[in-house]
Amino acid sequence: MTCNTGVTCPACGGSAGPADSFCESCGTELAPPVSSTGPAGYTAQCPVCSLDESAPPSAISAEGYCESCGRKVPSGRDHVELNLELLAGVTDRGLRHPRNEDAMALATTETPAGPVAIAVVCDGVSSSPRPDEASLTGAQAAVRVLLTSIRRGDDPDKASLAAVRQAHEAMAILGSPSQAPSATYISAVIGPDGVTVCWLGDSRAYWLATDSEAKRLTRDDSLAEEMVAQGELTEAEAMASPQAHVITRWLGADVGTAQPHVTRFEPPGRGVVLVCSDGLWNYRPEAAGLAELALPAAFHDPASAADALLKFALDAGGMDNITIVLVPFPLVPPAPLPRRIP
Amino acid sequence: MTDSGFTVDVDQNQYLPEGGRDVSAVVTVTSGSDVAVAASSGAAGSAEIIIIDCSGSMDYPAAKMTQARAATAAAIDVVRDGVGFAVVAGTSTAWPVFPADGSMAVASAASRAAAKQAVAGLRANGGTAIGQWLRMARQIFAGYPAQLRHAILLTDGKNQHETPAQLAAELSQCEGTFSCDCRGVGTDWEVSELRTVSTTLLGTVDIVPDPAGLAADFAAMMENAMGKQVADVSLRVWTPQHATVKFVKQVAPAVEDLTDRRTQSGPQAGDYPTGAWGPGESRDYHVGVEVNPAGVGQEMLAARISLVTDAPSGAQVLGQGLVRAIWTDDEALSTKINPRVAHYTGQAELAVAIQEGLEARKQGDEETATAKLGRAVALAHQSGNEDTAKLLAKVVDVVDVESGTVRLKKKVEDADEMALDTRSTKTVRVKK
Repeated sequence: MTCNTGVTCPACGGSAGPADSFCESCGTELAPPVSSTGPAGYTAQCPVCSLDESAPPSAISAEGYCESCGRKVPSGRDHVELNLELLAGVTDRGLRHPRNEDAMALATTETPAGPVAIAVVCDGVSSSPRPDEASLTGAQAAVRVLLTSIRRGDDPDKASLAAVRQAHEAMAILGSPSQAPSATYISAVIGPDGVTVCWLGDSRAYWLATDSEAKRLTRDDSLAEEMVAQGELTEAEAMASPQAHVITRWLGADVGTAQPHVTRFEPPGRGVVLVCSDGLWNYRPEAAGLAELALPAAFHDPASAADALLKFALDAGGMDNITIVLVPFPLVPPAPLPRRIP
Repeated sequence: MTDSGFTVDVDQNQYLPEGGRDVSAVVTVTSGSDVAVAASSGAAGSAEIIIIDCSGSMDYPAAKMTQARAATAAAIDVVRDGVGFAVVAGTSTAWPVFPADGSMAVASAASRAAAKQAVAGLRANGGTAIGQWLRMARQIFAGYPAQLRHAILLTDGKNQHETPAQLAAELSQCEGTFSCDCRGVGTDWEVSELRTVSTTLLGTVDIVPDPAGLAADFAAMMENAMGKQVADVSLRVWTPQHATVKFVKQVAPAVEDLTDRRTQSGPQAGDYPTGAWGPGESRDYHVGVEVNPAGVGQEMLAARISLVTDAPSGAQVLGQGLVRAIWTDDEALSTKINPRVAHYTGQAELAVAIQEGLEARKQGDEETATAKLGRAVALAHQSGNEDTAKLLAKVVDVVDVESGTVRLKKKVEDADEMALDTRSTKTVRVKK
């Protein structure tokens, strides 16, 4: 395949078409998925002990503390911004948690029907061991399966279920049933004709619009949501109850068969898909309220809008890790699509 | 629950005010229903020694010696097949009763019967030198490779036939080589003396005022010992540079100060012994660390608490918990008192108040005794420690429980006073 305008392969410098997944010359993946691992080549070092240049660098423990002075060492994951133009996200440690146990992974691809945006968010379960590993492992595994499936032309529902299974497997091998790094899971595939959401736990997806169409696309797997569903409590009462954040489904080695939900949503018009962890929605659970904060900025600049939502959650207390992904719909490619020459 | 079957949970307020240095946490160690550590070859299994006081006073009343023989037989009956066991008799010297050659027998129907027959021939005659008894037990243990080494020691009198220094010297030899539960029968023995033995040897101490209660108590102690699976477990406390461990105390089921029992295990780590563990146990530890303050918004690992056991291949980590410090200018956070830390601070004070109050009473200092025991009454009440409150009520008349206003009873049974003293360290957990 050749083309008149396109991208340059970062590996060999050869040109490739904007719809190509791999460089025709050297096979390098042209639009690989990105995830919140932190800056490339980031090596954690103690902010205090590293000031003494005569001393050898101190070891950093698995939990992210300096083995010499005990100081918390900033992780590359404490604050990560990802921007793929079609969609953008930010994840942040917040103000109260010692580390960021949320993770996100994003990807875009081109299909015959048009561009597709993919977002996966996982929120590590703090009461499990190494929840930060669980969330990043799950998000990375899932985004890879989603991207491959969608490129292949799979139905988004089928791709979503394959992805969540892969995420579950990847997390399960991190532990054992008695010692299971665990996380919530949500994926969103946004294509030309709709949105497919797949989830377990209490990370959410919303449709944000300026009209009354704004709505939540997911139902939490949480005790609070169950109590509301059974009419035992109002949403406000449930949120105030101590069990509000007890989740009833998650991924990890202690889960035999994952039971994800899949839903498909056809947007009635222009809007923005928001995928987020509870670190955001705790402070503004209603779709209309979130739409008010994010719009209209998110229509044309999802990265700045995500930053604004993050600032809102931090100002509101930042009690939990916060992850926000915004995807304007319809998907607007950064530059006009060039004509392909066969 | 980790794969080892142990969990280590940390409860603390991790927030410190600007410049704050003191970090305090309650560490709960729980063993699951299936804890066991693979034994190294040649050192498998357990060994038990029963040490019986045969001093002359055991015949006054004669029931003491009769019941001591019966209790020893009851304990022997509980020793599982295959476990090493021996019986030692003690006076101003000590000798092996069974096996008579000072070795360790392997439990079977035949060896248990032979042991009971040997015990039936024991007679009371002589003095009391507990250090000699422990020395004999230590020598027998030394000749038999077992991972779990436990003894039961019974006495009815004071350690009269050796100096306190001789006992202390022998205790330091025994420390870490076996554990020992101590029982005093009657009221002529010294609580503080026996408590020193049980504390050093990571065991319990209690009074059995009526010799008739000995057999059930011995059988229960042996049952408990047979349940132990993991030997020589320690709390390894890592602290950052320039930090100091202020104290490490077991606070449940009873207060045991382990602070001075530290063995350095690394440049920034020390081990504190917790003894042997069986399945389904739960113990709480109160750990206090002083750290160099960092700035507001900074976080530090104030201590890493690891549960370790000696394995042939080196120390094996059974579980781990983190004690954190985060400096904040939010007073609502930094002034919050952790309820379990507060509870156990009170329980430790309760034990000290009782021991000091009883000591003052013995010295005839009624004013101090009244104040200390009154404080104990109030603390026992506030914390819901009903067993201790009942024992206190046998020593003082309670006028007002809230303020701890009490009057010393004019007549107090020796057994009641000794029971209060020996059980002063027993704690209760926070009411849920």
